[in-house]
Amino acid sequence: MDLKSIKKKAKKEIESAKDSVALKHIFQDFFGKKGEIAVILSSLKNLPQKERKDKGKIINEVKKEVLEMIAKKENNLKKIEAALDAKEEWIDISFPSKKIPLGHLHPLTQARRKTEEIFEKLGFSVIEGPQIETEWYNFDALNIPKDHPARDRWDTFWLRESESQKSKVKSQRLLLRTHTSPVQIRYMEKNNPPLRIIVPGRIFRYEATDASHEINFYQLEGLMVDSKVTLADFKGVMEKFFQMFFGDEAKIRLRPSYFPFTEPSVEIDISCRICKQEGCSACGRKGWVEIAGAGMVHPNVFKAANLNPKNWQGFAFGIGLDRLAMMKYRINDIRLFYGGDLRFLEQF
Amino acid sequence: MIFSYNWIQSFFTEKLPKPQALAELLELHSFEVKETKKIGRDFSLDIDIMPNRPDCFSHLGIARECSAILGLKTKNNQPKIVSEFSFKNLKKKSNLISVEIKDQNDCFRYTGAFVGGISVGFSPKWMQQRLSVCNIQPINGIVDVANYTMLETGQPIHIFDYDKIAGKKIVVRRARKNEKISALDGKEYSLDQDILVISDEKQPLAIAGIKGGNIAAIDEKTKNIFIESATFDPLVIRKASYKLKLKTDASLRFEHGLDYNMTESAINKAISFVKKTSSKDAKIFKIDIFEKCPPKKIIKLDFNFAEKLLGVKISPKNTENILKTLGIKVFKKTNSTFDLEIPFERGDLCLPSDIAEEIIRIYGLERIKPTLPLGVLVPPQKNDELFWENQVKNSLKEMNFFEIYNYSFIKKNDGKNYFSLVELENPASEQFQYLRPTLLTGLIENLKINTPNYKEIKIFELEKVFQKSISGEIFEKKMLSGLIWEKGAKKGRLENEFAHIKGILDTLLNNLGISDYYFNEYKPNPSEMKLSFWDKNRVAEISLMSGKKIGFLGAISLDILGGYKIEEPVMAFDIDFEKLWTECSEECEYRPASNYPCAIRDIAVLVPRETKIGEVLNAIQKAGGEKIRDVDLFDFYEGSQIPQGKKNLAFHIIFQSDDKTLSGKEVDSLHKKIIGFLEKKEGWAVRK
Repeated sequence: MDLKSIKKKAKKEIESAKDSVALKHIFQDFFGKKGEIAVILSSLKNLPQKERKDKGKIINEVKKEVLEMIAKKENNLKKIEAALDAKEEWIDISFPSKKIPLGHLHPLTQARRKTEEIFEKLGFSVIEGPQIETEWYNFDALNIPKDHPARDRWDTFWLRESESQKSKVKSQRLLLRTHTSPVQIRYMEKNNPPLRIIVPGRIFRYEATDASHEINFYQLEGLMVDSKVTLADFKGVMEKFFQMFFGDEAKIRLRPSYFPFTEPSVEIDISCRICKQEGCSACGRKGWVEIAGAGMVHPNVFKAANLNPKNWQGFAFGIGLDRLAMMKYRINDIRLFYGGDLRFLEQF
Repeated sequence: MIFSYNWIQSFFTEKLPKPQALAELLELHSFEVKETKKIGRDFSLDIDIMPNRPDCFSHLGIARECSAILGLKTKNNQPKIVSEFSFKNLKKKSNLISVEIKDQNDCFRYTGAFVGGISVGFSPKWMQQRLSVCNIQPINGIVDVANYTMLETGQPIHIFDYDKIAGKKIVVRRARKNEKISALDGKEYSLDQDILVISDEKQPLAIAGIKGGNIAAIDEKTKNIFIESATFDPLVIRKASYKLKLKTDASLRFEHGLDYNMTESAINKAISFVKKTSSKDAKIFKIDIFEKCPPKKIIKLDFNFAEKLLGVKISPKNTENILKTLGIKVFKKTNSTFDLEIPFERGDLCLPSDIAEEIIRIYGLERIKPTLPLGVLVPPQKNDELFWENQVKNSLKEMNFFEIYNYSFIKKNDGKNYFSLVELENPASEQFQYLRPTLLTGLIENLKINTPNYKEIKIFELEKVFQKSISGEIFEKKMLSGLIWEKGAKKGRLENEFAHIKGILDTLLNNLGISDYYFNEYKPNPSEMKLSFWDKNRVAEISLMSGKKIGFLGAISLDILGGYKIEEPVMAFDIDFEKLWTECSEECEYRPASNYPCAIRDIAVLVPRETKIGEVLNAIQKAGGEKIRDVDLFDFYEGSQIPQGKKNLAFHIIFQSDDKTLSGKEVDSLHKKIIGFLEKKEGWAVRK
C-alpha cells in the first residue's frame, strides 16, 4: 500500500475510533512491531542511501502526521470519557459516617482539669483531703464558733457513730465536709509558707435540691500565703483565672460578704455568659452570677494551724465547680451532673 | 429579711436613689439584695443580712449602711420620753411593778415600762402599710407597736396586759420541769430547765426572747400595759429555740447577740408609738435592771497594716471620713495610726482586719486595681495520685467508657447486703440514708435507666466509698469501678464476656505501666458470698506480682441483676484505687524489635474440659522456651465430633530469635518438643 492510502486509511480509522482502547489498537496497527508504518520504516534500511534519504523524509512526515492525529483524538476522547466518568463513578458524600466508638469524660472532670491546669501554671499545687471530717477541722479551726448562728450557713450531714467510737472530745464528732476549706488547716499544719495550693473535691450540704442546689457537689478551694499577698493580688489572680478558663473577656466583680475564716470577705460574681449580661433567669436578671466566696485568711485560722498571723498573710477562695461547668457548657440544672443519663454525658 | 424602701427613706431628709439603684449600691457595699418588689406605693427589698451583722436586722441598721455608702446624714429621730422616773433614778421596785432576774447570766438587762390608761384600737395606716410590706400582719395598735419597734430598731419588744400579771411581779427564770405554756401561736409548749421564761408570781407569761403566752396577752379590753425590752444570753435563746423547734423574728435577733445598750432607746421608741396609737396622755413608769455596762471597745488601726493587707492606698483623711460615716470615732491620731472607738451595736468589729474590711467595702471593692502577687517562684508539686487518676480516666474513655458521677448516698434497701454501712444521723431522706460502701450499685442503677436507649453500655466511676472496719471505725477510700453490658447478650458460660472485661483490664493496666499482674480464682467463703455482688463461678481476683490484691473482675450475680430487672449478663471490675495508683509507673524501656523473621506453627490439643487454657499456655511456653515470641488461642471447641468430656484448643505458636533466622529444621524440632511435652500430660492429646 502506498503512503497516501495508508495516511487516508489512518485518518479514517482514527476519526471513527469510539474510545481510547480502540485508539490504542489503531496505534498498534500502524506503529506496533508489525504495524504498517513500522514495517515500511524498518524496510528503509535495505534501500540504497540516496533513495533511503528521500523516502525516509516522506515516511517520517506521514508518521508525524498520523501521530499528531492520534494525539489529538486521544485528547478529545479523554475529555469525553472524563465527563462520562463523572456521571457514573460518583460517591454520595452525604452517606452517614461510620461510627467510631469513643467514651466521654464527665463535664465536671473536664472543668476540674481545666481549672487545675490553669492554677498549676500559676504555681499552685493540687492537693486533696478527706470527705469525712471532724467538727474541729470543718468548723472550729475555721473560726466558725460552736452554737453561733453563723454555723447555720453550712447545713451539715452528721455521721452516726457507735457509742464506743464516739470521741470523748466534742469537736471530734464526724461529719461530711461542707466545704473544702478544712484542707487549708490540714495543709498549713504540715507545710510552712510561702504556699500556693488548690483543693478540688466533693462536698456535702444538707439542703433541699433544685435546679441550682444539690446535696453533694464539687468545690475548688484555693489558698495562697506569703509575707505580703494582698487583696488586690487576689483580684488579679481571679481575673487571670476566669479569663483563662472562659477564654474570652470574662468580667468579674467583688462584693462584700461574710465568712468567719476570712477578713475581709468577698463574694466573686462573673458576668453571665448565658445572656451576655442582658439579664436572664440563670442570673436572676442581674447579669452577674455568684461563683465563689473568698477573702484574706483570718488571723484565727493561722493560729489554728500554728502559724503566727503577724508573719503571714494571704487569700483563700472556694469556687463552685458545678456552677463553673454550668456556665461553661450552658447547663441549666445541676442535678444533670449526678443523674447518670448517658444522653446528657455523651454531649461532652 | 424584708425591708420597706419608704421606711428606710424616712431616716433621711434627702431623697435616696431609686429602689433598684439603692439595691445595687447595697450589693456592692453591704449585703446581697435578693429581690426588689413594688408593693403599692412602696418597694420591698429582700436583703440577705450576714450573721455577723445583727445590727442590720433593723431599718435603722440598713439606714446606717445607706448613710455610709451615700455619705448622707440620718435624721436624729430619737423621741424624748417624759417619765415619772428618769433612767438615772430608777427603782427596782415600786407599788406598780417589780422585776426580779434570777440569774444575771441569762438576762443581761431588763428594761420595762408601765403605760397606764390606754385604749386598744388600730394603728395608723402608714404603720400598717409598712408592716405589711415587711410581711407582718397588722393586728392592733399595741401589738403593731411591738413589731414596728423591733423592725425599726432591731430590739425585740414584748407587751403584756398589765392587769393580767399576777402579783404585779415579773420574774425572769428558768422553766420548771413539765411546766407548760399556751403560746400566742395557739400551740402549747412543754418547757424544762433549759428554757428561760418571763413569769409572774404564778406561771410563765412568755417564753423569753421567743414567744409570748396567752395569759397576759393584749385584747380589746386592755387598759394598762407593761412593755418589756430586754437582752438575753444568745446561747440560751438559741438552744431553747432549737429545743422547741420554734424560730421567731425575736429569737432570730436574740440568738445573734444584741447589744444591751439598745433596750433603752427601743423602749422609748415603743412608748412614743403607744402614745401615738393608743393614748396621748398615758401615765408612764419605767424600770431598768442591769449589773454593769461592758467597756467601750477600742481598736488601734495601723495604716501600713491596712495598705499591706488590701494592696490599696487610701489616705488617712479618706479613711477617717469612711470610718466616721460608719459611726466609728477616731479619738487619737498619730502619723501612722488611728485609735478607734467602736459603736456599741457593732459587736462584729474586734480586729484591725475587721476595720480594713469596713474601709475597703465602703471605699469600693470595684476600685481595687488588680495586681499579680510577687513571690518566690516555687514550682508546683506533682500530685501522683491525680496524675494516675487522669491516666485511668483517659484510658477508659479511649475504650469507649462513659464516666459517671453518682451520689455518695444510697437508700436503705441498697445497703442491705452490707453490715458495715456508715449511717447518717440526719439523712436528707430515706433515699439517701447511708453513705455508699461501693460504686457498683450506683452503676447498675445507671445501667437500668440507660438500657432502653443504647445497644451497648460501658460506664465507670472513680470516687470515694465509705465503710466501717470490723472494730467499727469509719473510713473512706477511693475506688475505681466499671461495668459493661450489651443488648441481647445471652446468659450462659460467658467466656467471651469474661474475655472482654479481662481485655479491658489488660489494656488499662498496660496503660498504667503495670505489666506483672495475674487473675486468681476467687472462692468467697459462705459468709462473704452472701454479701458479694459477684457470680461466684465467674469472678477473678486481680493480684500484682508484689502479692498485693487490688480488686475483682467478673460477672455480677444474677440475684443482684434480677433485683434491677436486667436481663443480660453484666461484667464488671471493682478496684481499690489507692492500691492501684501506688503501683503505676511511667517507666518504659525500649527493646529493639528482632531483625529476623518469625515462623508460625499451629497446634491443636484435646484436653479434659476442666483443664484451664492457662495451663496449656504455660506448658507450651515451658516446652518451647525462649524462642517462643507469642502463643495465640485461635480456636476453642467443645461438643459433638470430639470425645465426650474433652475440649479442643488450637493455638498459633510464633517462634522468633533475636540473633538469627530460625531454620525450618530448628522450628520443627522445637514444635516436636512441644508436642512431646504436651502428650505426656494425663488426658491430653495433640491432634495431628
